[in-house]
Amino acid sequence: MNNDILQHQNARVNLYALTSRLTMSEVDEGLLKTIEEDENMLAFFPTYKKWDKRKKLERKKLIERYLDVDFANLFLLHLIPYESFYMREDQMMETGGENPVIQLYNEYDFRVELDKARVVGGDHIGVELEFMYKLCESEKKALEAEDYKAAAEIAKIEYDFLKEHLLEWAPMFLMNVKNEAGTAFYFDVADLTLEFMLSDFEYLNKLIVQNKGDYTA
Amino acid sequence: MYLESRRTFLKGAAFTVAGAAIAKGVFATDAAAESVAESKFTNTPSSLSFYPDHSEWDSFKELDGADWKRGGIERHGVRSESNPDGIQVNDYTIVPTVCSNCEAGCGLTAWVDKKTMTVRKYMGNPLHTGSRGRNCAKGYAVLSQMYDPDRIPFPIKRAPGSKRGEGKWVRVTWDEAMKEIGQKMHDTLKKGDEISKKQIMYHVGRPNENGFGPRVPQSLGIDGYNSHTNICSAGAREGTIQWANDDRNSPDWANAKLIFLQSSHAADAGHYFQQSAGLIADARKAGAKMVVIDPRMSNSAGMADLWIPAWPGTEAALYLYLVNRIVHEKDKDGEDLVKHEFVKNWVNWDRLMKNKEYLNKLVEYGYIKSAPKGESYEDFIELLKELYAPYTKEFVVKECRLEGMEHKLDELWELFVPAGSKIATYLWRAGPIGHRGGWMNTRAGFLPLALRGALSGDIGGTSFHHWHEISVAGKGDKATVAGEHPKKADVWNELAWPPEYPISTYEMSHILPHIMMDDEWHAKWTKRGLKIPKSIAVYMPRMYNPVWINPDGFRWIEMLKREDKVELSFNLSPTWSETNWYCDFVLPVGLAGERNDQQSTPSKPEQRIEFRQAVLRVAAEKAGWKPKDPTRATLEAHMKFGLGEVWEESEFWPNIMVHYIDPDGSLGVKKYWASKKDPSRAVTVPEYFDTALSLLPKLKETAQKLYPNEEYPVYSYIRDHGAWTEKTDVYKPQEEELEFDGTYYHAHGHKYHKDEIEKDEFGALWVKGKDRTNHTPIGIEIDGELYEGFHTRSKKLEFFSEWLAEEWKWPEYAIPFYPRNEAERRKMPQLVTQVHHDFMKGKNEFALNTIYRLPYNIHTRSVNSKHLMEISQNHNPVWIYTEDAKRLGIKRGDAIKVRIVDTVSGLESGYFIAMAVPTEATRPGVLACSHHAGRWRLKDGVTIPGFEHQLGIMRVGTPLYEMTMDGKVGTLKPKGSIQEGYVKAPVWQFKEFNKDLDNIWWDGLSGSWQNAVAPSHPDPIAGNHGWHQKVIIEKAGANDKIGDIHVNYENNFKVYQAWRDKLTRPLAPGDKLRRPYFIKRPVKPSFKAYQVEIKDV
Repeated sequence: MNNDILQHQNARVNLYALTSRLTMSEVDEGLLKTIEEDENMLAFFPTYKKWDKRKKLERKKLIERYLDVDFANLFLLHLIPYESFYMREDQMMETGGENPVIQLYNEYDFRVELDKARVVGGDHIGVELEFMYKLCESEKKALEAEDYKAAAEIAKIEYDFLKEHLLEWAPMFLMNVKNEAGTAFYFDVADLTLEFMLSDFEYLNKLIVQNKGDYTA
Repeated sequence: MYLESRRTFLKGAAFTVAGAAIAKGVFATDAAAESVAESKFTNTPSSLSFYPDHSEWDSFKELDGADWKRGGIERHGVRSESNPDGIQVNDYTIVPTVCSNCEAGCGLTAWVDKKTMTVRKYMGNPLHTGSRGRNCAKGYAVLSQMYDPDRIPFPIKRAPGSKRGEGKWVRVTWDEAMKEIGQKMHDTLKKGDEISKKQIMYHVGRPNENGFGPRVPQSLGIDGYNSHTNICSAGAREGTIQWANDDRNSPDWANAKLIFLQSSHAADAGHYFQQSAGLIADARKAGAKMVVIDPRMSNSAGMADLWIPAWPGTEAALYLYLVNRIVHEKDKDGEDLVKHEFVKNWVNWDRLMKNKEYLNKLVEYGYIKSAPKGESYEDFIELLKELYAPYTKEFVVKECRLEGMEHKLDELWELFVPAGSKIATYLWRAGPIGHRGGWMNTRAGFLPLALRGALSGDIGGTSFHHWHEISVAGKGDKATVAGEHPKKADVWNELAWPPEYPISTYEMSHILPHIMMDDEWHAKWTKRGLKIPKSIAVYMPRMYNPVWINPDGFRWIEMLKREDKVELSFNLSPTWSETNWYCDFVLPVGLAGERNDQQSTPSKPEQRIEFRQAVLRVAAEKAGWKPKDPTRATLEAHMKFGLGEVWEESEFWPNIMVHYIDPDGSLGVKKYWASKKDPSRAVTVPEYFDTALSLLPKLKETAQKLYPNEEYPVYSYIRDHGAWTEKTDVYKPQEEELEFDGTYYHAHGHKYHKDEIEKDEFGALWVKGKDRTNHTPIGIEIDGELYEGFHTRSKKLEFFSEWLAEEWKWPEYAIPFYPRNEAERRKMPQLVTQVHHDFMKGKNEFALNTIYRLPYNIHTRSVNSKHLMEISQNHNPVWIYTEDAKRLGIKRGDAIKVRIVDTVSGLESGYFIAMAVPTEATRPGVLACSHHAGRWRLKDGVTIPGFEHQLGIMRVGTPLYEMTMDGKVGTLKPKGSIQEGYVKAPVWQFKEFNKDLDNIWWDGLSGSWQNAVAPSHPDPIAGNHGWHQKVIIEKAGANDKIGDIHVNYENNFKVYQAWRDKLTRPLAPGDKLRRPYFIKRPVKPSFKAYQVEIKDV
């Protein structure tokens, strides 16, 4: 097995895990510590890294006074992090079974625990990103088992999901977040998520469309 | 910046922490997904339904609501062995019952959890064709009433040696209570003299059943039934009786073109709120318009097409203005607006035009210039034109104080005329009960409707209630040993029917304590030959709280405290109440899902019954449980399944009658309550109601088909369905053909040979030999056709009330009339409201509008629901028109002192302190403050010797008060909060259901006990308490607190006397009857009892 492929896949898993976590709920002290203490991770938060408030305040206060407030503003109050809001002409949120994303999850036997996610619909950006994370993880397992056919099938689902869902709306939302962000941290979260998705789509496009699912090409 | 780096993006993602540790993990496990797949539950149902199919009611599985709230089964899946964290699935027995929180009797279903045998929720009953599966807040609140922490858990008795009102109680069993009460009733009845037959009084508040209650006193052979109608609806009933000899009207809301409301009644408050409101909404959706005449902008007025804030009590003038236009104007096609076909056939103009003597009286009164020469229908129309010509727009604007709103009268006309005969109304509370002469409000209000044909009871119009109602609850006689209905009593009880009010509608209950304590009155009538008891041996209120709800509450307390006036008292009460505090026994009886009653509400043109039942008993019986004693099944079920020793009347009365009041049958009472099947015991609920309901032929036929193997098929049907509609589309009922087979007439279950019947000159068919002043004919012939007709003596609608004019002493008021100027108002005080603007002289004098219902908090039956209390707090300030408030310097939230002053005697009653809210939603000069709020308690809890917990008292809805009273002056002052009450007496009952009580944010001070300040205003004709008050307001003083009241009830006593003595026309020597025999009276005694001789002394 090509280590590069596995490493690359591992990185995809990690980035979908991180972006889904950060767009779904407030960052906590533990996660913030992890980010700050891991240079690789911190590199994805260049503005935050330089942010003076980060240097002045201890993490708990930083979170309580700035980051949580910004999260509430961006993800709960003023912006709508749900696909149906962006995709439906009437801009209504579809929280029930008619939501095409839920139908897709159902097809693959995934059930969203909305209370745990603290969201009202399965098409929340954090949930969609976590869906990508789950797919990537499955793909990784297939790659580890050297079942390239299965891995490529999963990668095709990832490609389709990005193309038909996430990339149809999330860039607009994330650009809005960047515009509205009141903290360097969430500016970086939005920027990271946006750029990563675009980059990953390029990767998947190459794998699925150009190379027809051939990892070794 | 990332464009360049994007290609190398992932190189930096070799985190030290694995993604799995970072991701939130919001996708469920496989087990949860499988549990959903295996269940019947889905988030994507193909259709939505509020209720399961009836076939599933005995076992219906549903996901638990508490878990369902967020995310449904997407959350944890369905609970199963392999998925223990999933959502709980409840297995319910769905038992139908009927709400008891107002008169509407909407269908309910209790969802009884089979595992715990508790009711988890109350929903509507889709099989009830009136409420159609819907309920208002009060319906859903039955659950919180049922599991109220302050429910009375067992019968209690005033502690020996203590006085009434001291609040000392001991626990007794039902049998101990029945023994003591039964003995006293036995001893009283055993005397058998006239006085003793008036000494037992069954005082029913909200009956919510159709006939069982009246059967109780009747079976005792007494005249002992009393009710609350005189504080509720007497004015409307009086006006309706004069028109139609019917108790109330009954509209076809759903098909009307104009919803014509006086006050918010029907649409957002009472009779029969929720059912009516739904039908009104249906009508409006179909294009109907709505007019609301009300000094206050109610919810209904706010959404009406037209709101007319007429000065309260002057509405009759407005109605007669419509009459004036109807008789004088033409429609757009040049046709008369009077529907001649209906009026000519169905209004008793013929009797008026023949009555020359009376026509001359009209001249004498100045109503017309000269008596009509002819007797024809056309002459009658000309007479109407002259009679009602003075009711011009200018007059109405002045009388109803609509200056600046003249355009509204034109708008009213524009809505009224196009509706044709499809005008639906329900003239009931507000105007008719608020005022002296309120009955004329109904009398005048029906005239424009009659002239337009809207009273013909046709589609979309207005009919009369008894055609839309079924009363069989009193008719289970054949299940008893007697096999027949108890005989009518042969005595007349002056305590409920005093001689000053011979045509009151009905019992004069609001002045009961006054006449009980009025020795002068007692002596006066005793001298004139009446035999009036000086005391009540046994006083038994049922679901009634007379102390709090009646005017002059301190007088009620005085009476109840006097053991020489009330020898023994017990309250059959589902809740604590202010009245309980002053009784000897408090016997806890059931709420909506804990009783067994047949009810029937005339909310639309159909005939329907509903059956309220003890749902825990029914659910347990369905699960195979059997009571030890079938005559006490409800009590046993409530005790077994954790509700406490809560019983109900349809088992209590048969038991006390058979075992304690008349155990040996010597009083002749036992046979009416002993079971025919087993004469040694009382009749059971299935036996009695199966018999009573079998009187409905279609129900019987259906039940026998569905339940061929059941011993009580009809009972079984109603037990499982909760409601039955016997007949639909009951239109123009007076035009039902009177059956005549050539030899016999068949009328109302009787057969009359043609030789027995004679026709009078107006076509009415009388039974020969029957006194025409005391009976009604069996039918009427119009243009050669035979009809059943209305229930009047003319068999027609009575524009002219002959009996009122001739035998019953009010000739000047025997046609719809309203005083046309100040001189007439002085001459005819009985038709002028006590809050007429004539009486408002000072800048701080106002009319106080007290009687509008708060739709979530009516009367006295909602203080036991935390949910209703929460949504009703702070909703009852004193509304004051913005400019009035500005003029007096009153701002929102200011505490004001509201002093009540009587306009007959000039006496002042005292005051209450309340919060003012300036608003455009009441008219200038008129304040509004509903009298449905302002409950109180004097203790947080009572200690019962030998019982480990304190019994809490009405704590979710009342603050603690301090009371003083000395026989002349009474006061009430709030002194403690709700939360303090829970600290002093911790909750021990239904703890799990009430774990949220520490969330109570309100203090209970949602109003003052204004009823106690108000003196009784007995209307001289209808007998109703005129609720509205003249008040003088000022800013409250430094020591005044919202909730304070101060009452001079000595003055209030004089007010009652002034209204009685200055305004009535009492029975007098020469009078032969107590009351017109043919008009309605609850629990009518025999004709012998009606006869009277008043001595001339």
